[in-house]
Amino acid sequence: MSEFEKLKVVTKYELLKQIRRKRFYGALAMTILAVALTIGFYKGLDIPTKLQENVPVLLRIPDSADMFAMFVTSMSALAILGAVFFAGDAIASEFERKTGYILFPNPVKRTTLVVGKYLACFIATATILAVAYLISAGASLAFYGQVPGGMLGSFALALALASGIISLAFAFSSVFKGGMGATIATLLTYMVVFSVISSGLAYAGYNPWFMLDRAGDAITSTYGVPFAQVFGGMMGGGQTMGGMMQASSDPVLSFLTSLTYAGVLFLLSIWVTKRRDMI
Amino acid sequence: MQDSIVIDNLTKYYNGFLALDKVSLRVKWNEDVALLGPNGAGKTTTLKILCGLLRPSAGKAYLAGVNVVEEREQAVSKVGAILETPEFYQFFTPRETLSYLGRLRDMDGRELKGRIKEVLNLVRLNEWTDVKIEKFSRGMKQRLALAQALLHDPPILILDEPSLGLDPRGMVEFREILKEERKKKTVFFASHLLTEVALICKKVAIIDRGKLRAYDDISKLKKKYRSFEKAYLKLTEGAV
Repeated sequence: MSEFEKLKVVTKYELLKQIRRKRFYGALAMTILAVALTIGFYKGLDIPTKLQENVPVLLRIPDSADMFAMFVTSMSALAILGAVFFAGDAIASEFERKTGYILFPNPVKRTTLVVGKYLACFIATATILAVAYLISAGASLAFYGQVPGGMLGSFALALALASGIISLAFAFSSVFKGGMGATIATLLTYMVVFSVISSGLAYAGYNPWFMLDRAGDAITSTYGVPFAQVFGGMMGGGQTMGGMMQASSDPVLSFLTSLTYAGVLFLLSIWVTKRRDMI
Repeated sequence: MQDSIVIDNLTKYYNGFLALDKVSLRVKWNEDVALLGPNGAGKTTTLKILCGLLRPSAGKAYLAGVNVVEEREQAVSKVGAILETPEFYQFFTPRETLSYLGRLRDMDGRELKGRIKEVLNLVRLNEWTDVKIEKFSRGMKQRLALAQALLHDPPILILDEPSLGLDPRGMVEFREILKEERKKKTVFFASHLLTEVALICKKVAIIDRGKLRAYDDISKLKKKYRSFEKAYLKLTEGAV
């Protein structure tokens, strides 16, 4: 049997593992709830108007399918964080829960096992993201009679960001003793450490385009709606929180940045896992 | 024909602690050898290196003539193993677990389905085929561990304290299974139970504090030290 055939087997059973876990359905339910609430708030509380109350009338951007999609998908992209819960214990748990004593003494390369696990995590995350985007697209069609073309690009960026976050979680999972530690470390790194660095650089006037969290912000940049102008209105006087809200990074650059994180961190996780002793 | 297992000057350090000190031994085909020693002697470390779970600090290990470190996948394809107290994916059933492992071991279709049924019958888990493993007791998991070790009918069995967690009936049944398997397989297993070793094997490698103290037939050791127990106590003197 070729290593590719083995990869298909590993991916199939790793995916089955993900689907059997309650956390998959928990993440799916939370995502559906979050998207539904976001849509409800947007329409029910007239968010497009409230967001731009401080913006001069002539500069206000009228509500549209694009603005709706930008707002809703910016929230549904939070579903990407579900990836952390799928990926955090993917490698560490084999050591922590001793399942590696059954899996590793098989004629299959550890690289194949890691790649299979990665693909399973990515498919699980992509499924949840797809559900979020489909609901958003359906709502857009219902309210505005159209699905913005930018939604596809946004989805592609969300998938690229998901792959970057999964790789980050895999890197921690390959090093940490426990899955919980790897999960927390991933969340803290992405949500705190990366944010602090990005914000610090932005305050200092540098464009932190190379940061993963900033690349993720580009999810809202595919609709042709000036994000900073709409959300900057919340600050009054067109302020943009010292650059924090200037999230509309270049989509192509952001896409490539996410994929670079994904590739480098994934290779690192393979390298570490291959050398890790099952003590 | 090469020996089934060759261990050559195997040495392993854990952060400066010497767990295995230049251990060398050879196991012939269809021989059953026990690795006997007190806790922390280096038994599990030896077996883990043989199964490619640990990399030796020095020395070499071969399974069926294949270097375990350099060609791990090819080497372990000849082996069925139970190491430490194995755990399984709790959301899987025995059928799914064995299907997964069987596919990784190049089994497929009818052959795999038939073999899964066979090994689950053998370890008396046939009524638990489609029950999730999260409901299993320690002993049932140990039975499943034996089933997966036998699944692909490997020529070499490497077993680490295989009867751990089994009740008395389970231990007897396990010995019966091994008695049959050892007719056509090499059995290399670690234990610290003298009675179990004497019942299963003819040959024993006594290991203590990382060093091989003796490697001989049990009958010869009995003759030399007057009893197997005395031989063990003498050769592991100083062990805690």
